[in-house]
Amino acid sequence: MRLPEVDRGDTLAHRALIRMISAVSGMRLPDAARVAFYDQAFVSKALGSWTQATMRGPSSWSISERELMASLVAKWNSCPFCIGAHRAIAVKGMPAGLVEAAHADYRAAPLPELLRVTLGFLEKMTLFPKKLSGADVRAVFDAGVTSEALTDAIAVAALFNMITRYANALDFALPTAREFEKSADMLLKRGYGS
Amino acid sequence: MPTDHKHLAEAVRSRIGGASGVADPALRKEAAAAGAGAASTNEPYAALAQQIAEASYRVTDAQVSAVRAATGSDKAAFELVMSAAIGAGLFRWDEAMRALAEASDAAP
Repeated sequence: MRLPEVDRGDTLAHRALIRMISAVSGMRLPDAARVAFYDQAFVSKALGSWTQATMRGPSSWSISERELMASLVAKWNSCPFCIGAHRAIAVKGMPAGLVEAAHADYRAAPLPELLRVTLGFLEKMTLFPKKLSGADVRAVFDAGVTSEALTDAIAVAALFNMITRYANALDFALPTAREFEKSADMLLKRGYGS
Repeated sequence: MPTDHKHLAEAVRSRIGGASGVADPALRKEAAAAGAGAASTNEPYAALAQQIAEASYRVTDAQVSAVRAATGSDKAAFELVMSAAIGAGLFRWDEAMRALAEASDAAP
C-alpha cells in the first residue's frame, strides 16, 4: 500500500521539490526518490550514503555489473519496480542482450566468470542466507574473486534485500519502459544520495 | 581506498533503535528482528514484518493499513516497514560476513 504522506512529501520543501522534478522531467517522480526524501530524520540519509558508496563508489565491479547484481536480487525477491529500474541502468554500460541473458539464466549467460561465480553467492545469500558457509566463500575466492570485491558485491545484495522489500510493501508504482530509461539517466548522473 | 561497508552498515543499523523518527524505537527493533526471521506475536506488527521478510511481494493493503491504524500515522507505519526491510537485509549482510570470517579462519 502506498502511504499518502510518502507520496506527497512530508515537508513543504520536499513537496515543492517533488512537484518541480516531476514537472521538469515530464514524468511522475518515482517512488524510490519519494522514499529517499521522506522522514529524513530516520534512516534515509544513512541508507542513501551506503547505497551511493556501494553503487557508485570505488570497486573492481563496474557500475553496470553492480546494477546487474541489484536487478537480479530484485528478480529473486520478485520486485518488478527494482528489476525495471536497475536493468535500465545496467544496459547503459553492458549489451542489452547480455543483461537479458543474465536475467533468463545467469549461470548459462556469457558473463565474465568472476561475475557469474559471485552471482551464485548472492543468490544463496538472498534466498538461503542461513546456509551460507565458509565453503561458499572459498569457492568464490578459488575462482579469483578478491575478498574486497566479494564484500562490495555482498553490500549490493544486502542493500537490495532491503530496497526490494520496502518497494514491494509500499507498492511502488511501475513506470513505463521509457520512464525507467529516463530515470536511469538521472540515477547515473545524480546517484543515490538524498 | 576500499569502501568501509561495515561502518556504513552499522550507521544504518543504529538508526533503527535510535531516538530519531516517530515510531517507538522498541517497536522498530522488533520489526527489524522479525525482518531477520525472529518469531513475534505482537500483532498487527508481526504479520506485516514477517510478510516483508518472507515474501514482500505478497504484502497486502490490509496488513499495511492495520499497522497504519495501530500507530496512528503514515510516518510511524513507514518506519516499521523500513525497519522490517532493513532487518532482512542486515541479516543477510551478517550471515555473509559470518561466512567470510569462517573462510578466513580456515585459511592455511
